[in-house]
Amino acid sequence: MKSYHAFVLTAALALSITTTSHAQVLNKLKNKGDQKASEAIDKLFSGKDKNKNQTQGQTGSTDQTGTGGPSGGSSGNSSGSSGHPSNNSGGGLISTPPDVKQNLSDAETSYKAASYGEARYALQQAMLGVELEIGNQILKSLPETISGLKKNEEDDQVTSTGAGWAGLTIQRIYHDDKEKELTVTIANNAMWMSAVNMYFTSGGYAQTNGGQQNWKQTKVKGNRAIIEYNEGSGYKLSVPLGQSSLIVYEGVNFATEPDMIKAAEAIDIDGIKKMLGEQ
Amino acid sequence: MLAMKKLFMITVLVVPMIVGAQDFDKNLASARTAYGAGKLEDARFAMEQMLRDLDIAIGKEIVKMLPVKLGTLDYIAKADNVTGGSGSITGLFVHREYGMQPKSGSIEIMNNSPMISSLSAMLSNPIMGGMMRDENQKQIKVQGYKSLLTKSVNAETGKTNYELQVPMNNTLLTMRMDDTTEGEITTLANSIPLAKIAQIAQ
Repeated sequence: MKSYHAFVLTAALALSITTTSHAQVLNKLKNKGDQKASEAIDKLFSGKDKNKNQTQGQTGSTDQTGTGGPSGGSSGNSSGSSGHPSNNSGGGLISTPPDVKQNLSDAETSYKAASYGEARYALQQAMLGVELEIGNQILKSLPETISGLKKNEEDDQVTSTGAGWAGLTIQRIYHDDKEKELTVTIANNAMWMSAVNMYFTSGGYAQTNGGQQNWKQTKVKGNRAIIEYNEGSGYKLSVPLGQSSLIVYEGVNFATEPDMIKAAEAIDIDGIKKMLGEQ
Repeated sequence: MLAMKKLFMITVLVVPMIVGAQDFDKNLASARTAYGAGKLEDARFAMEQMLRDLDIAIGKEIVKMLPVKLGTLDYIAKADNVTGGSGSITGLFVHREYGMQPKSGSIEIMNNSPMISSLSAMLSNPIMGGMMRDENQKQIKVQGYKSLLTKSVNAETGKTNYELQVPMNNTLLTMRMDDTTEGEITTLANSIPLAKIAQIAQ
């Protein structure tokens, strides 16, 4: 009798250990099974409706949640895998530049009321507006084509923070639909400028590559410049303008250094200097 | 005598404000004229000057909020410094000094300090804080603001000095004091209206 009890106890213990160790695996399998079953049922009963709703969503319908509601998990037609609805409508942000005159008036009013924080905000908005206008003027002054490369208007960029030290950046990309590309970046940025000036002022940068020259000083339309070459990225030409601005040209698949310089000379550097108030 | 003193105070406090206001108005007029004439770069330059004028006006307001005594130390009026830094990396800068060597102290308020991001990361992230741990540094809270207290010992005098850095959004307040204790500098820091300073400095 005793041995019988011992046997039952041992068997129960072994069963319990086995059950515990496999419980998680079984649970996972069960969940997988439930999920598959749920998907199959959804497909069977609401497949048509789901497709219909998705199309409606793309055309601006407000019914974007399908059968499961906004938190309907996998049954929601426009839900991602995390169960949250994904955005498929909306017009984005309004990119109208700040109204300079209005912001100057706001700054004046706030300053007179001793609301200096508000005055500063309005003033920064006014500066942002002016910088964006300067940037757009410079973009307009750039040529339509350079060395046979066409401008890509969609890539035109004017970036400003409205704070002088962080600066204004204007970028245009020219390309030939093949592999040749020229990126022109005009920056009014004191920190970047000082980094470039280190090349001019520090003799320590000269000939540090064991005789292989990857950069050198040159001139573009009478302006001192630095030209660099990298096998991976091609040519890079940096032309400082006055006190705090510079133009950086990045040329991919330009055959020779003179080709790169010629492309750089297509831009009216003096006109840009004038627009940025540089001497 | 009292009337003379009042007149002197009015002259000292009000005249610089009027001069500041005149600069702001003058630069505002220049900005409007230049913008109207399409001289965008000139307009931008005038606006940069206006930002500087504003920072100075804000700095003067902050100076009024700073204590005139730091414990037993009196402030040194002629050492008060308020600058606006439009066009440079930092913006507003306010500095006040107290006492004389060997026991002196100071309070500084700076916007966009290069220290802010590393300090905030250290204070808010336990991993960063652990990596940058220094036995002479301690994190404390001053009026709810997480702050860094650093102790140093003067090799010549053997006295203990403390520095307290309180980052508040993009404004950093730094308080230094020689020959003091943790308790004293914390108590004194608690007497500064930090929330008001942070609000006006933004």
